[in-house]
Amino acid sequence: MPNSSQSPAPEAQAHEPRVVAFLCKWCSSAGSDLAGVSRIQYSANATPITIPCTGSMSPLYVLSAFNKGADGVLVSGCHPGDCHYMEGNYLARRKLYLVKQLLQFVGLEAERFRMSWVSAAEGAKFAEVIDEFVGDLRPLGPQTRLKAKH
Amino acid sequence: MEKILSKDRLREWVDALDDCEVLAPAFADSVWNYARVEAETVIDLSHTNTINPPKQFAFPQREVFFRFERADGVPRLTPTLPDPRPTVVIGVRPCDGRGMPRNDTVFSKEFKDPYYWARRERLVLVGLACNQPHSPNCVCQSVGGAPHAEEGLDVLMTDLGDRFHVKGITAKGGELIARGGDAFASLQAGDPAEVARVHAAASSHPQRPVAELGTVAEAIRARFDSPLWEEMARHCIGCGICTYLCPTCHCFDINDEVTNPNHGTGERVRTWDNCQFPDFTMHTSGHNPRGDLGSRLRQRVAHKFLYFVENHGTQQCTGCGRCISECPVGIDIVAVVDRVSRA
Amino acid sequence: MVNVDALRGYAADLLEKGQVRAVIGYRRGTAGVLAQPCTIDEAGEAETLVWDPTCLNNLARYLVEDRQQQAAAQTRNKTPDGRPVAIVAKGCDSRAVAVLLQENYLKREDVVIIGVSCEGSGVIDPRKLAARPEGRWASRVDFAGADAFKVTVGGDETLIPARDLLADRCLECRAAAPALNDVLFGEVVTERGLDEPFRAVKAAQGATEDARWATWEHHFDRCLRCFACRAVCPMCYCPECVVDSTTFVNTPGTTAEEKATRIRWCERSASVSESALYHLTRAIHLAGRCIDCGECERVCPVNIPLRLLNTKLEMEAFEQFQYEAGRDFGQASLLSSFRDEDPNSFIR
Repeated sequence: MPNSSQSPAPEAQAHEPRVVAFLCKWCSSAGSDLAGVSRIQYSANATPITIPCTGSMSPLYVLSAFNKGADGVLVSGCHPGDCHYMEGNYLARRKLYLVKQLLQFVGLEAERFRMSWVSAAEGAKFAEVIDEFVGDLRPLGPQTRLKAKH
Repeated sequence: MEKILSKDRLREWVDALDDCEVLAPAFADSVWNYARVEAETVIDLSHTNTINPPKQFAFPQREVFFRFERADGVPRLTPTLPDPRPTVVIGVRPCDGRGMPRNDTVFSKEFKDPYYWARRERLVLVGLACNQPHSPNCVCQSVGGAPHAEEGLDVLMTDLGDRFHVKGITAKGGELIARGGDAFASLQAGDPAEVARVHAAASSHPQRPVAELGTVAEAIRARFDSPLWEEMARHCIGCGICTYLCPTCHCFDINDEVTNPNHGTGERVRTWDNCQFPDFTMHTSGHNPRGDLGSRLRQRVAHKFLYFVENHGTQQCTGCGRCISECPVGIDIVAVVDRVSRA
Repeated sequence: MVNVDALRGYAADLLEKGQVRAVIGYRRGTAGVLAQPCTIDEAGEAETLVWDPTCLNNLARYLVEDRQQQAAAQTRNKTPDGRPVAIVAKGCDSRAVAVLLQENYLKREDVVIIGVSCEGSGVIDPRKLAARPEGRWASRVDFAGADAFKVTVGGDETLIPARDLLADRCLECRAAAPALNDVLFGEVVTERGLDEPFRAVKAAQGATEDARWATWEHHFDRCLRCFACRAVCPMCYCPECVVDSTTFVNTPGTTAEEKATRIRWCERSASVSESALYHLTRAIHLAGRCIDCGECERVCPVNIPLRLLNTKLEMEAFEQFQYEAGRDFGQASLLSSFRDEDPNSFIR
């Protein structure tokens, strides 16, 4: 567990955020591997799902992850200019910008959705991104708005 | 039992029902709908028909049948029969009142549905007679009802200006009135005549005729294969408005909603379904016996005016007019029945 | 003024000469004041066409239906009648046709667009009419210039300021005459002086986050899942919607295992979470495609302000990406294009 510098509200402290991380196989997924083989310590809160390219992200994946109980959703892909398929990350950027705007508009705590560019060489950055996200999610407590209540 | 209730004492009656869930029409989001009466609620009975009929209080859109889980590899089921507080619905229009016994029949004839009846038996419907039709699509009288029909209601109130005439129709209704104590007054000499006058005036408003009601069932049967259905349904968009808003449509679907697949945890739920959705009759094989718009329109109309008559001896339609007024493309069940009858 | 007789004559002529298979337009309904969609197959029926402020439907939806029927005929090895279909189109409807063309759902030569001007005004909101005394009993509503509607109740005619009856979508409309047309009836009016575009969205996003969620939670909770919003939308043409994904067509080869483990994006229960998932998915699927005909909001029986979800995204498209759905059917679609300078600051 990272040593969080924030002081979250005591009642929220008990809740460990669960993050679903959609990682491009060409960069961020490899970045997470690098973080692993480099023995970098970082939060274990993220469940990675490897996707072929951030351009393949359906907004439905984001909504569905929240629906199934995720406290945060991360989409991580290649830096602009580095997409294996030339433009997938640019398309993702536009699409997911709109998703974030929509979440914000209906009051769905848009900060629970995050995007990052992490290359295959950036193991340290990957660890940072996860730690930061988990740290920012912790004070928010459990995500209840989109989670299915059966 | 007949009483008079001054309008300014309605609240007193409602307050006496403190162990009940009391619902009354409220105008919010530009539509009339039932809402829980809270301490600060000002009850406004100037409503047109509510957008949702009261069927939802016995047949909610979502009903949990049981919960399931797997503990140590063994499946375990927990029944979830509803145990609601007594529920009083105020301001039910007589067309909707007549809808309830039709639903009762469906949920009890071959199989007494315990979920429906657990709610229904605690449900008290306080009707309010219509002093005038709410829209050109009100056709209660044309389907055998009336603006002051008592069928299905426990209490019928009639608006006499500054006061309501309140009539207990069932034992349940009588008890409900009795609980209001001296909020109610006895009838004065002129009151029965006044009530009769108001009812007669309301009934005198002309309504669109629903063909020759007695011959409709036969006409639909005779024209089952008519190309008219397809023609009349040509612009149907296949939404669920006409059926979901209908006081007597009662079709449902049953699904298992799994909340945790790893532990086999979830619920078996019943949700509303309807015959206008294209996948309603979709078979596992991929074949759809009602694959076109015409056959789906025919199903809805025939259910109201033919099948229900065959099975239960009366039309299922109670003439509330919702399916006509709310149809996005102007499909009009009165005109449909009329055309089929005349074809 | 739109000369309705000329419009009827034009439609009759198209049918008479066999230039089109059918004309999709509006006729008087049998119940209430609203016009209803109709499809005219013979010249003689063109007399029943109408054009007035009660012609609410976006008829482009029926072009989609027609296209599906044509395709179905083809799979049955029947040669469909290849002639075009004509459609009576308001400004918003023509933008819908433009999006269908842009997406190659239709070909330009498959459709004849009979444009009608909204006379500088627009169509009515039936709820606003019904809220007025006697409004439910109106038998006719006519244009009376840009600033008023003439409402007929029984034998009485009343002029009502247009603003009081206009649908919200029309108050914010930027193009109340069809730019894409083969023929145009009525004049193009550009000066409208009603509301600013995106006024309602801007007002809605002024609330705090918790207040915004309280509002939308209330609305999602009220949703009946009748799917009228989806059914009426010309852009919702997916053969199968994600919320119906329990109904993937089964074939004899579909195994029980497969059926049991199929992903279910959305349960049938009309609960807040499931309805939110449906409406948000639909909104995002319409991003850069919604032309703001407002039909989803108009048909909603419980009056959920669905337009706001779509116009929010159209506002972002316009302000961030200078993109307007339906402006030009040759343009690259919003989500299949990008620019280097697209917003990036939200990305870590």
